[in-house]
Amino acid sequence: MSRRQFFVKLGVGSVAVAALGTAAFSYQYLSPNVLYEPSPIVDAGKPDHYTPDSVTLDPQTAIYVVRTAGGFFALSAICTHLGCLTAYKPDLGVIACPCHGSKFNKDGVKIEGPAPRPLPWLRMWLSDEGDLMVDRSNAIAIKQLVRV
Amino acid sequence: MANTLDQLIDQVRENRIWRSIFRGGTGDSNLHKSLLVQQNVFLHLFSIKARKRTLEFSATWYLGALTFGTFMILVITGVLLMLYYHPSVPQAYADMKDLQYVVSSGVFLRNLHRWSAHAMVFLVFAHMFKVFYRGAYRTPREFNWVIGVILLLLTLLLSYTGYLLPWDQLAYWAVTVGSNIASAVPLIGAKIRFLMLGGTAVNANALLRFYVLHCVILPLAAILFLAVHFWRIRKDGGIYAGDHSSEVSNQ
Amino acid sequence: MNTPKDFVAGLDSDARKTPRRIAFITKRTSPQVRVKDEERVMTYPEVFFRAAVAIEVLAITLVVVALLWDAPLEGLADPMHTPNPAKAPWYFLGLQEMLHYFPPVVAGVLVPGLVVMALIVIPYFNINIEAEGIWVRDKAKRLRIFGVVVVVFCVFLAVFRVWVALVPTVIVAAFMYLAAQAEPQSSTGFRRWLVRKPLSFWIMTWFLFELVVLTAVGTFFRGPGWSWVLPWRA
Repeated sequence: MSRRQFFVKLGVGSVAVAALGTAAFSYQYLSPNVLYEPSPIVDAGKPDHYTPDSVTLDPQTAIYVVRTAGGFFALSAICTHLGCLTAYKPDLGVIACPCHGSKFNKDGVKIEGPAPRPLPWLRMWLSDEGDLMVDRSNAIAIKQLVRV
Repeated sequence: MANTLDQLIDQVRENRIWRSIFRGGTGDSNLHKSLLVQQNVFLHLFSIKARKRTLEFSATWYLGALTFGTFMILVITGVLLMLYYHPSVPQAYADMKDLQYVVSSGVFLRNLHRWSAHAMVFLVFAHMFKVFYRGAYRTPREFNWVIGVILLLLTLLLSYTGYLLPWDQLAYWAVTVGSNIASAVPLIGAKIRFLMLGGTAVNANALLRFYVLHCVILPLAAILFLAVHFWRIRKDGGIYAGDHSSEVSNQ
Repeated sequence: MNTPKDFVAGLDSDARKTPRRIAFITKRTSPQVRVKDEERVMTYPEVFFRAAVAIEVLAITLVVVALLWDAPLEGLADPMHTPNPAKAPWYFLGLQEMLHYFPPVVAGVLVPGLVVMALIVIPYFNINIEAEGIWVRDKAKRLRIFGVVVVVFCVFLAVFRVWVALVPTVIVAAFMYLAAQAEPQSSTGFRRWLVRKPLSFWIMTWFLFELVVLTAVGTFFRGPGWSWVLPWRA
């Protein structure tokens, strides 16, 4: 390799490394490290607040607290289609989404509509003070009920 | 009276300061008409002469020029609106109400901005279809067509980012749905959504990012691509007029 | 300058000894050959005044519209309450209508992505440059392919019950079939015009038609829960 070729390769290589580095640092810059968003953990209050066989929507945190004969569980109220807030229709016994007509039953399973997935079950547990706690960032695969 | 006015105008035109600014001079000769175009930084993109057939309305329906016209209206009204708008939550919505009820001509400027935006989207689609149907995308104009498609995407993005800024129900849910569509991209969807919103939810970070995109990044990109788009029309021999006489047949 | 007949043209494959191309430039010709001369006018005032008038008319129209009609502004953004229906701006309503039938990956990413790709590559296909009428050659074979494609596509749309897309497809296919029946010497000017249309024309017209229909349906015929409504009854 001649001296010229060596320096050309060195130059092009350096520019390539610099470009990759710039891209990496830019990507890091654009991804915020701190989010001023509310915590995903929700305190849903005491179990006694919920009437038996009820589906209660908390619109602020976008979760349903469902009390069945076997125990409690929590569903995400955000439609899995495109993120609209669903609503529970007690007379029909379904959870319905106003945006494109998706409907789910009380277990979050989709009955009709374009939603691709069921409403996810969220991790729920009892705190030390006896409050129902829900972690919105944690969807559980195995459907467990919290017994009180 | 008219005589003295004419004399006055002539005196101004012969004035040394005036002639130092407007060096092409005035007159009806072709020389003066040529200098007006050629010596002007904004106008010298145009050729001195134009082919008569390209000027007919039926050739292009002037859609490209009209699209650019709406763009200029949007830039002017947009900059004016920026003087009364704070991109923060929930101040943005309060500013919209301000513009409507408090700011002089606020409601007019906002309306003009909104309707011009809709007009621009419509016109840019119409321009694309008209260019296609008259075959103006053919060699040597292929890449200009591609630049046109990029400009179409930029127009849609500009419209979409602007849509969030009022921070009303219409805006908020349109962006919620749109960002969820972005997250549907396989593999990198969630990352795209995170970068787009500057977070996991549509909140203050998202508004600020959309504001910067709408007012700075996308307009700059649009202007750059517009410059190339116009330049290429000039280099391709001017607007396509339905046959090949505009093309230079050296290979 | 020597006249061309003083040179002897020869062939040699040694690039260093013989230049590969020689241009004989005689009087009154140049490398740039214009096919024919066109009438030209001065840019100022012809181009500028036309542009000024067009933009003025546009500006006046938009100003009048801005004075008469207000841009919409709904209530403050409320994450706890989704309006019903939640509609995108009109230019995305076609896409939103498609989202009703297909999952977001298809209707939101795949289809728009493919549409953009298809638009970009149009000028790079020779078939679009030549723009020959689709039925001019191999009519029988092309009719068979056309029939298969149309039937498969319509079945696909019917299976997913995308009637809004099926109807325009059938209409455009009907016109294409009409074009196949026409001859360059057909009775009406319309048929003669139709028979000359190339494939790119048909695909683009189908796309334009679908765009208009899907957007119109999304705008006027969809109500709460994205249910079907008739606008004159609502």
